[in-house]
Amino acid sequence: MIELQDALRKKEIWAIGGGKGGIGKSLITGNIGISLARLKKKVLLVDADLGGANLHTTLGIGVPEMTLSDFLNRRVENIQDVIIKTSIPNLSLISGAQDFLDAANPNFAQKARLLRHLETLDADYILLDLGAGTSFNILDFFLFSDHGILVVLPEPTAIENAYRFIKSAFYRRFKKVVANQNIKDLIDAAMDQKNTMGIRTPYDLIDRVKNMEREVGEILEMEVLKFKPKLIVNQVRTKNDIQIGFSMKSACQKYFGINLEYLGYVEYDDCVWQSIRSKRPLAIEYPYSRPSRCIERIVHNLLRKEQLTLSMLY
Amino acid sequence: MFKKIEDLNYYELLEVSPTASSQDIHKAYERVRRVYEPNSIALYSLFTPEETAAMHQRIEEAYRTLIYEDNRKKYDASLRSRNELPEAPPSRPAPVYQAPTRQPTLPLQTENRYLNGTAPSSAPAAPAVGPSAEEVSPVSPFIAEFTGPAIKALREQRGLSLRSIADATKISIRYLECIEADQYTKLPARPYLRGFLVLYAKALGTDPDRLISDYLKRYDAARGHK
Repeated sequence: MIELQDALRKKEIWAIGGGKGGIGKSLITGNIGISLARLKKKVLLVDADLGGANLHTTLGIGVPEMTLSDFLNRRVENIQDVIIKTSIPNLSLISGAQDFLDAANPNFAQKARLLRHLETLDADYILLDLGAGTSFNILDFFLFSDHGILVVLPEPTAIENAYRFIKSAFYRRFKKVVANQNIKDLIDAAMDQKNTMGIRTPYDLIDRVKNMEREVGEILEMEVLKFKPKLIVNQVRTKNDIQIGFSMKSACQKYFGINLEYLGYVEYDDCVWQSIRSKRPLAIEYPYSRPSRCIERIVHNLLRKEQLTLSMLY
Repeated sequence: MFKKIEDLNYYELLEVSPTASSQDIHKAYERVRRVYEPNSIALYSLFTPEETAAMHQRIEEAYRTLIYEDNRKKYDASLRSRNELPEAPPSRPAPVYQAPTRQPTLPLQTENRYLNGTAPSSAPAAPAVGPSAEEVSPVSPFIAEFTGPAIKALREQRGLSLRSIADATKISIRYLECIEADQYTKLPARPYLRGFLVLYAKALGTDPDRLISDYLKRYDAARGHK
């Protein structure tokens, strides 16, 4: 029975992003991968941070011979050839490109080819570790995935970037479903917070689009409901830090009209820093530490399609 | 459906269901109010200070409307007329708590301090004193400081007698009276007092942390603790 379920199971692609750099995206991706692999899931980690790849380091692997750049530049034809086996059973890795100047900016054809090949791979879970920023490549990987996961720190800078990331992803998605060039221009203009048309929130934008073309506005409204990014608050030190996740959920609901799912938080602990210094994965070096436990809890929430609720805290 | 912030109704604003009890509304209010505080970092870059202030204002309005039974009924009716609420209102739970109103048949001797006000009520002890008392209007958040008289006022506002608090908390009425009268010298040692205050706060359905910190601050000042 279990084998049958395994065979029927659909592959899922999760993308981990967040806008700001240095907030633990790679670390969380790597350790979520290890947790999943321990649950006997076949996991492939893809370092989609093409300009600043270091997912391999969080897994304790040296600079790999074959990376994504070999695939993107067609030095190898098959994406299978750039997959590296790790020492952890069920866990493999495609390392990010590192060695040529333009690696961080693949063109559209390269990106499309990568996404097409990812879909053919044999794995239960493919985890994309996204880079910092809100470039189109990053947003497209985020939107392509089945589950987009945002990482924030309980700090204004990280929160600001997370909102900017949500907004950019949101508007990029809008642009993809809209054919009319005038509406596309309107969406571009709305991205500018200081636009002169009085469009402050996504609601204003949809309202404006509805006035232009009613059906398109309704399609956008459906997109709003379908857009359900997930949230992880990293490096929490106090109970108030944990609350920030709920507050962001509330703010997103009211501002964007989207349902941000609060997956969980990762506690701050020096052992994370120590594990990075020793170039060993956190989940292997300190499996019983609080951050490791937090990540396991996040994985459970992801697998059960659940989220953190206020009542769990008290 | 996707609504503009200004168009959210009070229930949506406080993120509660239209059938929520007043206790739930109070909890939701405390939470949402904290989210939309000025300088709330979770809102950083999303709302301007003016928008946050406006939100805060609306949340206060929502709370004041929904927390008073009469206002809430009126508001529900206006929502229903705009088709924002289902027509048949779900029957609100009947008041769970009833303050014992029956007087003892025995004539009271007012000079007897053991009998005064402490005559056992012939009604069965109300089991629902405390947070489960749904219809009790929750703490007014506008209490600036939980002094003894403020606690007493709160208790009376909820129609709770000392007897019923004593029954629920197993604290003797003598101590409850001392707490309400700020008679610090007659109260037990600080750790015991703290325990009493936790129980009393819970029986009132209020936030124990705030009550305790306010009360003990004054207690410490009066007793010359650090």
